[in-house]
Amino acid sequence: MVTSRVRISIRDLSKTFRQGAREVPAVSSVSFHVHEREFVAIVGPSGCGKSTVLNMIGGLIAPSAGEILVDGQPVLGAPPPTVGYVFQKDTVFPWRTVERNIALGLEYRNVPAAERAARVREAITLAGLQGFEDAYPATLSGGMRQRVALMRSLVVEPEILLMDEPFGALDTHTKLNLHAELLSLWQAKQQTVIFVTHDLSEAITLADRVVVMTRRPGHIKQIYDVKLPRPRDVIHLRETDEYSREYSEIWHALGEEFRACPA
Amino acid sequence: MTKDRARILVWQLLILVVLLAAWQYLTGIKAISKTPGLYWIDPFFISRPSAIAERFVYLMSPKVRLGIWQMALSTVQSTIWGFLVGISTGFVAGLVLGRSDRLARILEPYIVAFNSLPRIALVPLITMIFGFGLLAKIVLAWSIVFFIVFFNTFQGARSVDADLIHSARFLGASERQIMTTVIVPSALAWTFASLTPSISFALIGVVVGEFIGGESGGGLGYLIIQSLGTLNAADMMVALIVLGAIGIVMALGIKQVEARLLRWRPEYQKR
Repeated sequence: MVTSRVRISIRDLSKTFRQGAREVPAVSSVSFHVHEREFVAIVGPSGCGKSTVLNMIGGLIAPSAGEILVDGQPVLGAPPPTVGYVFQKDTVFPWRTVERNIALGLEYRNVPAAERAARVREAITLAGLQGFEDAYPATLSGGMRQRVALMRSLVVEPEILLMDEPFGALDTHTKLNLHAELLSLWQAKQQTVIFVTHDLSEAITLADRVVVMTRRPGHIKQIYDVKLPRPRDVIHLRETDEYSREYSEIWHALGEEFRACPA
Repeated sequence: MTKDRARILVWQLLILVVLLAAWQYLTGIKAISKTPGLYWIDPFFISRPSAIAERFVYLMSPKVRLGIWQMALSTVQSTIWGFLVGISTGFVAGLVLGRSDRLARILEPYIVAFNSLPRIALVPLITMIFGFGLLAKIVLAWSIVFFIVFFNTFQGARSVDADLIHSARFLGASERQIMTTVIVPSALAWTFASLTPSISFALIGVVVGEFIGGESGGGLGYLIIQSLGTLNAADMMVALIVLGAIGIVMALGIKQVEARLLRWRPEYQKR
């Protein structure tokens, strides 16, 4: 379906962790490509190694075998400057206000103060954080903190965005709001996104393609194209037959993995 | 709220008045009337409020060579210097060793050994080296504060959240920027938390220093030891009261500073 250029290319990626004398395979032989402006979600049972795959793409951990190319360049340790990363865990700096958290990346890149202020203001407006510019993260809800983290990553305009269950700890309502916001932000800038989640409805709502991984050691079970039109209305979408059809098709594959997984 | 506070204050003052009155009264009754020197509670050992007040006024007067305020000033000065120098050196050392595993492992036995040495045992040596003035007291206060701050900062620098460092790196931070925007602020949070014990220990260090080496510098510790020499409980009480007041003011001041520096922490947030 997509004819644009490949931005991320993963070949035979494997990771084995060492636990004392034991070797625990986490990811085995994962291969897929992500094209320019594509939104790809990775789903799978917890502990299937989907976050490990994302960590390797971001250069946070080294693969045991295989190859990751971002724009044709192998990923070696340091993250490429075009890549942004949103963590599952709360990584907002607690000692900085909302405004200064969002400004971080611009400070690092020595963006002049005036331009920095303008871009931060714009980001705050986009995220609906007006009035909280000078608030410290400790006073914010989990959803707002994650919104700050998201805007902090987006304000430096990454071309590739890696998201590791960013909304995993949030309640359903907050999650849906953030889905809508993420989609409209993405619609505007069309970053290339890899989004890891254990929530299938989240994956279908957001992504163009859904990569289903098996239980540990994780490998790719199947890759599905999500044939839902854009722009998507995150609430209305779930009432449509197309959504239900996509959902049940992927759910069947995923369910096999959940069932086989000892809880 | 304010009514409640007023009520508490009234009770607090009442306790003080009762205590002082009882002290004054009990040290005034003799065991056998008219026989000097035999008291139920002997003011020779614990003095009496009236005698203490008298000595206080006398010690403030220009008749004495070293007045009580001069003594207090000397103690406060040494404490603040010991505190400031101790904090800054402790912070730098904690940060450097906290980020350098190798250096920390090499120096560990020396640090542990020096820290387990009772600091009071060093007083004569420090006095011998630095003389009887302010400097010896400052060095002594420093030697205690340094380790408190050092261990805290060390812990703080080691326990920096790896994901915060990763986030910074993804946002384009250089190693130097990671140091200044992630590691230093994280470690500082731990350093600030050690300010309150540090100021108390600085004061302890200074007073102990004055016990032995206070001769030319004076100080409240010196006044206490001198009063021991002349068996003057009233002077000792004067010194203790002033010392107590200094301790309270410093602790309250530091609490304010801490609340300001750590205002981003949940426990300091006013919701």
